[in-house]
Amino acid sequence: MSLSTKEYFVRETYKSIRRNGLMSVASVSTVALSLLVLGMFLLLFLNTNNLAQYLESQVQITVYMQDEADDSVLENTRVQLEGMPGVKKVTAVTKDEALERFKERLGEQQNLLNALGTDNPFPYSFEVEVDAPERIAELTPQIGDMEGVETAKFGQEVVEQLFQITKILRVGGVVLVVLLAFATLFIIANTIRLTVFARRREVNIMKYVGATDWFIRWPFMLEGMTLGFFGSLISILVINISYSALLSRIYSTLAFLPMLPPYPMLLYVDLFIIISGTAIGAAGSYVSLRKFLRV
Amino acid sequence: MLEMINVTKTYPGGSVALQDINVRIEQGEFVFVVGPSGAGKSTFFKMLFREVLPSSGKVIVNGHDLVKMTDKEIPYFRRQLGIVFQDYRLLPDRTVYDNVAFAMQVIETPYRKIKRRVNDVLDLVGLRKRAHAYPTELSGGEQQRIAIARAIVNDPILLIADEPTGNLDPETSWEIMDIFREVNKSGTTIVMATHDREIVDQMEKRVIAIEHGHIVRDDAKGVYGYES
Repeated sequence: MSLSTKEYFVRETYKSIRRNGLMSVASVSTVALSLLVLGMFLLLFLNTNNLAQYLESQVQITVYMQDEADDSVLENTRVQLEGMPGVKKVTAVTKDEALERFKERLGEQQNLLNALGTDNPFPYSFEVEVDAPERIAELTPQIGDMEGVETAKFGQEVVEQLFQITKILRVGGVVLVVLLAFATLFIIANTIRLTVFARRREVNIMKYVGATDWFIRWPFMLEGMTLGFFGSLISILVINISYSALLSRIYSTLAFLPMLPPYPMLLYVDLFIIISGTAIGAAGSYVSLRKFLRV
Repeated sequence: MLEMINVTKTYPGGSVALQDINVRIEQGEFVFVVGPSGAGKSTFFKMLFREVLPSSGKVIVNGHDLVKMTDKEIPYFRRQLGIVFQDYRLLPDRTVYDNVAFAMQVIETPYRKIKRRVNDVLDLVGLRKRAHAYPTELSGGEQQRIAIARAIVNDPILLIADEPTGNLDPETSWEIMDIFREVNKSGTTIVMATHDREIVDQMEKRVIAIEHGHIVRDDAKGVYGYES
């Protein structure tokens, strides 16, 4: 492709976008909106994933002892637990401590405890922290079989539920991404169709003087890509600003929530959005031109 | 250089536009195609630049078998042709110069060459002075001259004109015909459809008459032969 041809393409693209001013603005905003939803969804998904992984790494095994277990059995269990491979820390929780914790959790509704009378139904337990989350599944049954141990549990439910959520998000994400991509494609295709329609005479003449389909296509493709590019630019601008704002909010109020830091994640998200926005623009033009090129 | 062999065209729906057409046109000829409207003339023309394919038979233009031609080859084939329409088909938002240069930009001619060549053909059609006017500022005859300039700017081997004087008064029509005569003198084959009796009769060129999809007459120095 020669330089003068490239110049010609750029000039034609610029002229066409200006001529369709309002429609161009509409396309850019629509692309921006759909990609905005897309990007926010992506961030939500990445953070849920991150949260799930974080929680998984935080998991500890809780070992509930039988009520009959006497002090020597407890001490024995403790020593045994500490000697297991991968175990970082073992904390003993006495029956009294367990009751205390429960009281704390009840808060103002402590009178519920009166129903218990003087009995303490809470078992003696150990909290076992391990160095790698993968060990938990393997260690837990071993501990459960030890002498004097009633049951050994880990926060399986929470983690599994979270992974369930991420899974749903992942599937839903793909569906949503596809739907949004199609919506965007449709809108850009429509804008370009108007452009092409306005210039069908020109396309027709080009065909008669021997322009190749690609020569005719390029200015329109560039137009679609430009609209897509500016749309994605707006959406990443909004996403970057709002994510940073969200983060500072979360740090000041919900500091315990593990959020992904903006960088480098946002860079990847931005890149993804720009590339898909531009690609969708190109595809939209391609689709809407097909009919007019058949002469 | 141009040959149709047993060409029949049936459109979907069953209407027969052309039936068993056999015609041969040599390099450098000037041929009029006459006949009543709806006789198959436009199909005949569209077939020459491969907008319409025959249902059966063979069309060969400048050595290209148009039936066997792939879609990809069409643009390169059309670059060897020049096409002039009754309604000029100029781009209203471009100047005279740009309208002509357009045909060269499209086939990616270098900028410098474009400038020289466009000025040359504008001289040829006598409109160099109006290079920066827009088509709407020009008369019908001038617009058609621009269209001819665009059609010949890439030095076509074959110039196809579909009623180029159909919208023009007799005097202007002759100006246009003079340009065609010039182009033909330089070796370009011209095939022209027309309803203009006076022009056909005075030019004394080959005349092919098409009626109801058949060639009914093909005279070397023919006359229009219809009541106009």
